[in-house]
Amino acid sequence: MQGMETVLRIEDLRKDYAGGWRKPSRPALSGLHLEVPRGSITGLLGPNGAGKTTTLKCIMGLIRPQAGRIWLFGEEATDARSRRRMGFLPEQPYFDFYLTPRKLLSYYGRLAGMDPSRIRTKTSYVLSLVGMGDEADLAMDKFSKGMLQRIGLAQALLSDPEFLVLDEPSSGLDPLGKIQVRDLLNSLRDGGITILLSSHQLSEIEEVCDGVAIIHKGGNVASGSLDDMLRSREEYEIDLEEPTSAAWDELPGSASWADAAHMRVVVSKKSLNEALKALMGSGASIAEVRQRRMTLEEYFLEKIGREGWEVGE
Amino acid sequence: MNAVAAFAWSVVQDSLHRKVFYAILAFTFILILLVPLLPSADIGVQIDLLREASLGLTSIMAFVLAVILGSTIIPREREKRTLYNTLSKPVSRWQYYLGKFTGIVVVVAGALLMTYVVILLFVLIKFGVFNPGMAKALFTILLEAMVLVSVAMLASVFYSPLVCVMLTALFYVVGHVKGDFLYRAMTDSANDPATRAISGVAYYVLPNLERLNINETIAHSERMFSVGATELLLLIGLAAAFTAILLFVGGYLFSRRDL
Ligand SMILES: Nc1ncnc2c1ncn2[C@@H]1O[C@H](COP(=O)(O)OP(=O)(O)OP(=O)(O)O)[C@@H](O)[C@H]1O
Ligand SMILES: [Mg+2]
Repeated sequence: MQGMETVLRIEDLRKDYAGGWRKPSRPALSGLHLEVPRGSITGLLGPNGAGKTTTLKCIMGLIRPQAGRIWLFGEEATDARSRRRMGFLPEQPYFDFYLTPRKLLSYYGRLAGMDPSRIRTKTSYVLSLVGMGDEADLAMDKFSKGMLQRIGLAQALLSDPEFLVLDEPSSGLDPLGKIQVRDLLNSLRDGGITILLSSHQLSEIEEVCDGVAIIHKGGNVASGSLDDMLRSREEYEIDLEEPTSAAWDELPGSASWADAAHMRVVVSKKSLNEALKALMGSGASIAEVRQRRMTLEEYFLEKIGREGWEVGE
Repeated sequence: MNAVAAFAWSVVQDSLHRKVFYAILAFTFILILLVPLLPSADIGVQIDLLREASLGLTSIMAFVLAVILGSTIIPREREKRTLYNTLSKPVSRWQYYLGKFTGIVVVVAGALLMTYVVILLFVLIKFGVFNPGMAKALFTILLEAMVLVSVAMLASVFYSPLVCVMLTALFYVVGHVKGDFLYRAMTDSANDPATRAISGVAYYVLPNLERLNINETIAHSERMFSVGATELLLLIGLAAAFTAILLFVGGYLFSRRDL
């Protein structure tokens, strides 16, 4: 029996894609685990080809895994009934271009079993939520990539889902659009909605997610709360007012320059005082000292190495 | 409105936005209007000739529409990824499959209805004969179109539109010649056993589509044979049985397919 605290739970998910005529099949997922707690924003992070989209498609019942178990809302199923409580944004969403956003959403609303008056009010609401209120009645053939992405978000939100599954939600959006999506996701979470999103944009995940699962070549690399992952190294950063290279010889062994301009020193907690003394002794003036939080990039590089970023064979 | 109806309606909307739909209709109407230009020996048979040629053209139109729509709808939605939007809603693949089928049948029926009006008016104006009984021929054309749609859709679960069109055309040809050709191939003792066996299986498994073709009888005002209620019921049963089997197999395969 699953507790109500977990909206999605995946165990040992395996998926091979058929290789086609006389080609071997290729594993896309090889024993993936994932857990999404209620009311959280969870990020599924991994390089291109890691299996993010494959995982999300399995959750939505669009493809059938060879093995593994998926629980949604405590029940082991990926059928129409579980989808009633979910919203999905596919990767690079696409629509029939002769439709207007309003007509499109009314079609999707009917598929979701909503009644006409609710479709009308919700359509206007979600379109304004994604900043497409003014374009509601234009044919979509003139829409840009980012505009289609916003329509994709709107259709995912249409039927008041409890659980949102978003495949690269801010792909194709301009900087302002990314900020709007981030604020939107945060306010949805504050309203009690659970969100699972995939991304290979580390900054995007870092800014909105409570927890992440890092995957690579179809398997788990790490998972947990971001704060725990990123504060795992006890290091300090010292920012200088002016570039200096004078003090290098006196700095403790663990110190290193964090930048080419020689304005930032990284040093372990143990030798922080020693480093500060050496810097001040050499006449450098110190602007700021702070505990270092790894960026997700650094964490990722440390975990899977630089080669890991290359798309798997 | 439930999901099946919503899917069906989406096909109607989609067809009305496809130029090929109007092109096929316009082409058929123009050809029907040109039929009287055909040389005919006897003035008396002109009306029969007009009716037979029009019904022939109408069949071709309906079958082309059925095959094009049946072969393209699923592959196109897969390629454009719009399937991900619709099938991630709380609907089943069966609802999608049956809805799209229903939509195609509605579009073909609409096209047949328009053609019916054109032929009816044309025969009335040209020969002063009002001949609503021709509806029977158009109805059996619709029955055969239903079978063809279900064949094309079944193929389209796996194959590209071009392959689907070819497979459905093959089915059509075999279904029309089987009564004659396959029967002879099956019974002729001069053929080797393998040929006879394959012909035999095909003979009993495939529908005899020629039975659904009552164009000639209707064109000749049912003077020789008449198509009564029993005959029509039989034809409905034949078409419904094959359509149901093909839809069931297609829907089952589609519901298990990776998208
Ligand atoms: N339909 C398919 N047929 C065959 N192989 C596929 C198919 N879809 C994905 N794959 C393979 O499965 C692996 C995982 O792909 P997936 O799309 O899940 O990656 P992803 O993490 O979403 O990548 P991206 O960041 O580029 O979107 C890749 O190696 C890919 O080549
Ligand atoms: Mg992807």
